[in-house]
Amino acid sequence: CVTVPSATVLSPERQAVAEQQQAAREAELRPRTDWSLAGRIAVSNGSNGGSGRIDWTQDRDGYRVALSAPVTRQSWQLSVDGATGVARLEGLEGGPRTGSDAALLLREATGWDIPVTSLGDWVRGLRSPAAGGAVIQFGPDLRPARIAQGGWDIAYTWPEASLDHAFPSRIDARRGDARVRLIVDQWGEAGAQDSR
Amino acid sequence: AARDDLNAFTKGLKGLNATFTQQVFNEQGRLKESSSGRLALSAARLFRWEYIKPYPQLIVADGRKVWVYDPDLQQATVKPQGPEEQNSPLAALIDPTKLDAQFVVKEAGTSEGMSWLTLAPRTDEAGFRTARLGLAKGELVKMVIVDSLGQRTEIRFSGWKRNPAFARGTFTYTPGKGVDVIGER
Repeated sequence: CVTVPSATVLSPERQAVAEQQQAAREAELRPRTDWSLAGRIAVSNGSNGGSGRIDWTQDRDGYRVALSAPVTRQSWQLSVDGATGVARLEGLEGGPRTGSDAALLLREATGWDIPVTSLGDWVRGLRSPAAGGAVIQFGPDLRPARIAQGGWDIAYTWPEASLDHAFPSRIDARRGDARVRLIVDQWGEAGAQDSR
Repeated sequence: AARDDLNAFTKGLKGLNATFTQQVFNEQGRLKESSSGRLALSAARLFRWEYIKPYPQLIVADGRKVWVYDPDLQQATVKPQGPEEQNSPLAALIDPTKLDAQFVVKEAGTSEGMSWLTLAPRTDEAGFRTARLGLAKGELVKMVIVDSLGQRTEIRFSGWKRNPAFARGTFTYTPGKGVDVIGER
């Protein structure tokens, strides 16, 4: 499976630098809430799962996640209204559903456990304020190699070119039987489609 | 008209393969994805759809199960073959009676140098709102599917080979080492 970086032990000095860079990165990126990504996602909960193309569009506190299946690209979409926090799931059998908890709505409809509330931060390599205490392990390049938070263990793959605020190219998140693998093929920030 | 082209295309057909290019447009009509690959279809519900560009992905239906293998994601999901079929007009290509059983098929005139058929699913589990088949010179050239969220997929076929000799293993998939298999084999 994914070659998870071995637990590199950084010297205290480099660890401090890494933590300081991470805090600065979070302070810079968390307020930026108009970004998007296009990629591929595979989810599973041990017994069933699926994979498809994912389009995530963050818009202030709200977001829209569209997933399309292979071949017919039959899609369904989860959207959360930033102002009211109401989650809406459309495109699945049985018609649209709404609820206050996006992850619960998704699990009830698909059986999959996808931590949507925190995924927007995690996929950008940030700790998620919504998920409580976090433990970060940094890689030799001082970027997060793993974040453990909210019961999830997220392993990161970063692009070779170490741009200062580059985003991860891939995450592999697990919690118990639940697993979410996401490859980001294209990051977009307010129209600046930085394609990989 | 289109139906005659379709009947010519599917008459005496036991198997098909071809290459395809696929474009997906979001509900505002913006191009979201362009991909290409090849496909093979055989009478006994066998089906292979292989994305090559820009990223590899393999979908194989072996008559019993449907496999979806994502090499980059190292995951292969396997599901029983029954329900998957309703929502793919392609699977009905080999057997036109199934086309009529699953869809209300209507002539839809000519455009883009093709004569068109519209397919409206008879049940609402098909997962798409409309599908259109574009035919020319007795061949299926294009399939357009609009799903329930308004996303439009256009698939253009080329190089149809009728009743080809399929290589062994065309319609089977065996997960390699390191691939996470999800679902009962």
